[in-house]
Amino acid sequence: MRHIPEDELHAYLDQGLSRSQCVEIESHLAACASCQAARDGIAALRDRTTALLARLAPPRSFPTPFETLRRRADIEVSARRRRIHLAAWVASIVAAVAFGWTASHLTNPAGSARVASGAPAPTPAAVSRQAVVKDSRTPTATPAILRPMRTDSTRARTPRRPTRVARRATAETSTVSIPTVMAAPELELSSVEIPPPTGEFELDGMWRTMSWVGAQAEAGEKLPYIDGLPIVQVQVQAGEQGKQPLMVVAQQLSSGEVIRTIEGPAQDVSQLLARRTMSDPVPTVSSVDSSRSSPVSPERIDGSMAMQRGDRMIAITGALPPDSLLAMIRRLNAEMRSK
Amino acid sequence: MTDELEQLYQTTYTAVVRFLYRKVWDAERAEDLAQEVFVRALAHRPEKPRAWVFAVAANLARDEARAAVRRKRHLTLLKADPVAQPTVAPAADTLVEHDERVASVQEALSTLTPRDREILLLWDAGLSYPEIAGQTGLAVGAVGTTLARARRRLVEAHDRQNPSKGTHAAHS
Repeated sequence: MRHIPEDELHAYLDQGLSRSQCVEIESHLAACASCQAARDGIAALRDRTTALLARLAPPRSFPTPFETLRRRADIEVSARRRRIHLAAWVASIVAAVAFGWTASHLTNPAGSARVASGAPAPTPAAVSRQAVVKDSRTPTATPAILRPMRTDSTRARTPRRPTRVARRATAETSTVSIPTVMAAPELELSSVEIPPPTGEFELDGMWRTMSWVGAQAEAGEKLPYIDGLPIVQVQVQAGEQGKQPLMVVAQQLSSGEVIRTIEGPAQDVSQLLARRTMSDPVPTVSSVDSSRSSPVSPERIDGSMAMQRGDRMIAITGALPPDSLLAMIRRLNAEMRSK
Repeated sequence: MTDELEQLYQTTYTAVVRFLYRKVWDAERAEDLAQEVFVRALAHRPEKPRAWVFAVAANLARDEARAAVRRKRHLTLLKADPVAQPTVAPAADTLVEHDERVASVQEALSTLTPRDREILLLWDAGLSYPEIAGQTGLAVGAVGTTLARARRRLVEAHDRQNPSKGTHAAHS
């Protein structure tokens, strides 16, 4: 007859065996004196261990009330959301990218089909409507327009008119799309945690990190992103009723830096940028190419840049040296235009 | 409102503190970490909270040990930790407060391999075989084997240091 191995006796005494295993062991024990002795030895060893470990106990204390922990957890959850948001902006510099976003289909809705099928670059006329964004509440931190580096002469002479952000100005183009022609990007989403949805609208408040598919559903399939770069995060701030959501798509360059493309109602984007600029006084791109961006007024020299079309705005931020970012923008512009 | 986590907190907080204390050897720190564990549980709402709580506690303790090693916070390394795994030894002044009996168990515990020690501590914290298996990646069937070895080694190591009182029964 097989005797019970030592580890099985441990498991038996620790109640780590199934009922049928226990029955088997018990029936053997009833008839086997040596296994009984083994069991008693192991039981003693077990008690001895427990007694030894019991010496290693901290002084007894009174646990903090659970309510206190609950409050701490609430604070941490909201702080985490805030951190996600802050992380998007810390050490970023902000620059504008036109990259095909002002394509003719915006002014000419019929053109969207052409763009969607890989139509050529935006016309100068469309680009001419790029405008300096002015937010009366944060005048010193106003995102200004820098024209993309790769411009043709027509566009270089295009006057840029300062304009108020008028949300209703181009209601019919508020469903503006970033080209959706591009193949779905390689998805490389970071772990997604979706806090409960909320209708609250507050710039530094309720951001949701979403899956690519979820964000697409929210945005109606229109998400700003740069083709060819892996997407690491999609953040969405739900709009108020009838308002388009504010989207931030983070993508990683091969060099490891993360760039973010922001698209949404112009006022929200510019506020977002303004907020960012205020907390980051590092002179940004606007000083790099002052000749090209000459109409940028001096008080905006340390401002940021964005691209506005109607009541929509798109911007790119990245923790890159200004010249690298400009180079990247140039490249992206070229890429987007060639699509 | 009473929820599952609150009940878990009432029933296992002490066990979590003890589990952590046996890793960081600092009662106050162990309590801080235990609270952190439950705060995280509240924020994450894990599916299997009991196992989750101990898994997070183990991680926090590990981070703590690494940080302690990094800071070289007056470490009094217990002699002959058989594997080069960093063990957070009691700070010198804390040791004084502990009596010999405590120190001898501490030292005996430090002679176990990290895995044996972990499983023994998890068992002692009240986790079941399946929970221990789930947390350590061990097969359920191997938990008994590991515990058998860990117990034997702990008692042997302890008795080696205290040959006079080695053989007679446990002080409880």
